[in-house]
Amino acid sequence: MSFLTHEIGSLAKPPWLVKSSAGAPLGESELEHARSWGERLGVEDYEQLVETLEQGQNGGLDPAELGRWASRYALRLLERAGLEIVYDGEQRRTEMYNWAVAHSNGFEPRGTVRSFDNKYYAKSAVTAEPSLGEPYHNEEFTFLQSVANHDLKIPVTGAYTIAVWSYDEYYGPRSGRLGAGHGRSEELAARREFALDVARNVIRPNLESLIELGAKWIQIDEPGASTEADELDIFVESFNASVEGLECYFSTHLCFSDYDLFFPAIEQMHGCKQFCVGFANDDSRELGRSGADRPGYEVISKFRDLPYEPSLGLGVLDIHTNFIESPELVRDRILYAVEVFGDPARIHVCPDCGLRTRSWEVAYEKLQNMVEGAQLAEQALAGSTAGAAR
Amino acid sequence: MQVLAPGIHPRSEALVQATRDLDRGRTSQEAVDEQVALDRDELVAFQQQAGFDLLADGMLQWQDLFRPLLEASDGLEPGPLTRFLDTNTFYRAAHATSALPRLAGPLAERYLPPLPGARLVTLPSPFALAQGTGVTPKVIAEQVLRPALEGLDAELVVLAEPFLGRSDGAPQELGEALEALAVGPKLALQLTFCDARPALEQGLAELPVEAIGIDFYLTHLTDVPKGLGKLLLAGVVDARSSTLEDPGELAGFARRLQEEREVERLALVPNGDLQFVAERIAREKLQRLAKAKTATVQAAA
Repeated sequence: MSFLTHEIGSLAKPPWLVKSSAGAPLGESELEHARSWGERLGVEDYEQLVETLEQGQNGGLDPAELGRWASRYALRLLERAGLEIVYDGEQRRTEMYNWAVAHSNGFEPRGTVRSFDNKYYAKSAVTAEPSLGEPYHNEEFTFLQSVANHDLKIPVTGAYTIAVWSYDEYYGPRSGRLGAGHGRSEELAARREFALDVARNVIRPNLESLIELGAKWIQIDEPGASTEADELDIFVESFNASVEGLECYFSTHLCFSDYDLFFPAIEQMHGCKQFCVGFANDDSRELGRSGADRPGYEVISKFRDLPYEPSLGLGVLDIHTNFIESPELVRDRILYAVEVFGDPARIHVCPDCGLRTRSWEVAYEKLQNMVEGAQLAEQALAGSTAGAAR
Repeated sequence: MQVLAPGIHPRSEALVQATRDLDRGRTSQEAVDEQVALDRDELVAFQQQAGFDLLADGMLQWQDLFRPLLEASDGLEPGPLTRFLDTNTFYRAAHATSALPRLAGPLAERYLPPLPGARLVTLPSPFALAQGTGVTPKVIAEQVLRPALEGLDAELVVLAEPFLGRSDGAPQELGEALEALAVGPKLALQLTFCDARPALEQGLAELPVEAIGIDFYLTHLTDVPKGLGKLLLAGVVDARSSTLEDPGELAGFARRLQEEREVERLALVPNGDLQFVAERIAREKLQRLAKAKTATVQAAA
């Protein structure tokens, strides 16, 4: 057997793209990045990009062309690292939330808010009933279909996360809240209406459009899913409203949450074939395959017991640090999960989340080790099977 | 009536960019520190001009409510990235490596910069800092927070408490811890982003502090005990909403607190850290807080 390996979504944007997008002149370090990574990853015709960038003024490349180059590089990085399922590290999206609301109607920007430390995101307010401006992943997907050597999985920001990451200036009461001790029921009703409107009016038409173009696997990203412990049913309803009746392999990405909160609500997510979930962030860095050795993975038996038997995308890379997980550490995390699940076929291997906060060097090394760790786990299982057969 | 701005203030777009550049190796720590100083000077000047009663520095260097204390303590360290309540902002949860952690030295000046006037300081409450560490709030108070308070030049220390109102913890658990902190500055215990009713019913108002803080977007007016004998930090600006408050509504609510609940000492504050909105929105919210105070004072006159 072999473990399917895949990425989650974002990768850092290469410095030549960041600077070019900002209209800043490129220095030797940015050019060297394009040159060295192009060579290292075997990006076709990368010399052409480097020569063009060397001319200054982006060599006359328009932003869309630059974006396509970045997509090519990121795609090759993931493929060269050995992942079976890939995308382009969301090179052409501003950011997972901002890209979605910027291409939808009914939202207005409200400035920059801290995510953690020196990381931030642009936050918008919903000011009218949301609707889709135009399908906003079609162009990138069509391009990637034309250049990818491995299978693609398209990350799409989910309805609940869009709702819970937005300020509400439309659905809830705008005055009369002070000292009124508004019950949660009023807030919950507003959030449900908001999330379901996003699911039906924004996400679902996007998914339909991608499926029409040939999408086989779509990952609904819901990092905000457990933001409110008493809104898990809204998350589930919005997922179901987004995908019900559509023919595609749908998965959900969850991260950095108290995963116990998801149960039993997600028992109703019958359309979800895989949950890819970040665990390494809370795990020990020591080797070991027992429950005591793997505290970050304590909750995985609950995913195992879901009635519709989804696969588990096992997060084995902590994306918040430059610590490079060894292949042996990845192996032990996988083998522990196999032990809990009893069925290796239900285990996929992935990072905890997108790697956009890490440098390409760190991300590449982590991913290579992840793939090697998956292979070590396969060998270990093959060895134990052979041993048992004897 | 007072207006105060405790908690972590959002960074300006210029400071956001500077810190992003720092992470990407495009600028120096010195350049970021200069921008922090500019942001802070502007925030302080704004508070002076708007009539805030104590000055706050905005905690612009604090990566979260706990980090500077964790980094300055033996036996405590920053743990995994953890979601802050129901926001999309994360913090490093405290992790104890010793049963008896202690502050190794005073907080660096970058975390408590000098200000040109009487000031307030915000620190985590002992219950909040002890969360998930296995160490009691009393030990945290005695070994970590008290050394931080000793010699602190502040008129008021606001102990931010985001967790108590959302947990099974009872205010009594904090009583002994707060007594250990009676070493100088007056203390306020602010329950941020929560319905304070259960805590009030269990004796929040009797805790040994000068002031208590309540979020009035989640707490009903009538839950405030009549004739509260403490300064009330009334959280009347919603730090998690982009909607701007109407100063008239704020002033009207302040009057209701004074008249219906017989609150004699009142300070209008945000209901938690303003860092959950962008800097320009936070500034406008503070402006409206100040206008509400002016309106209330004028109406009383």
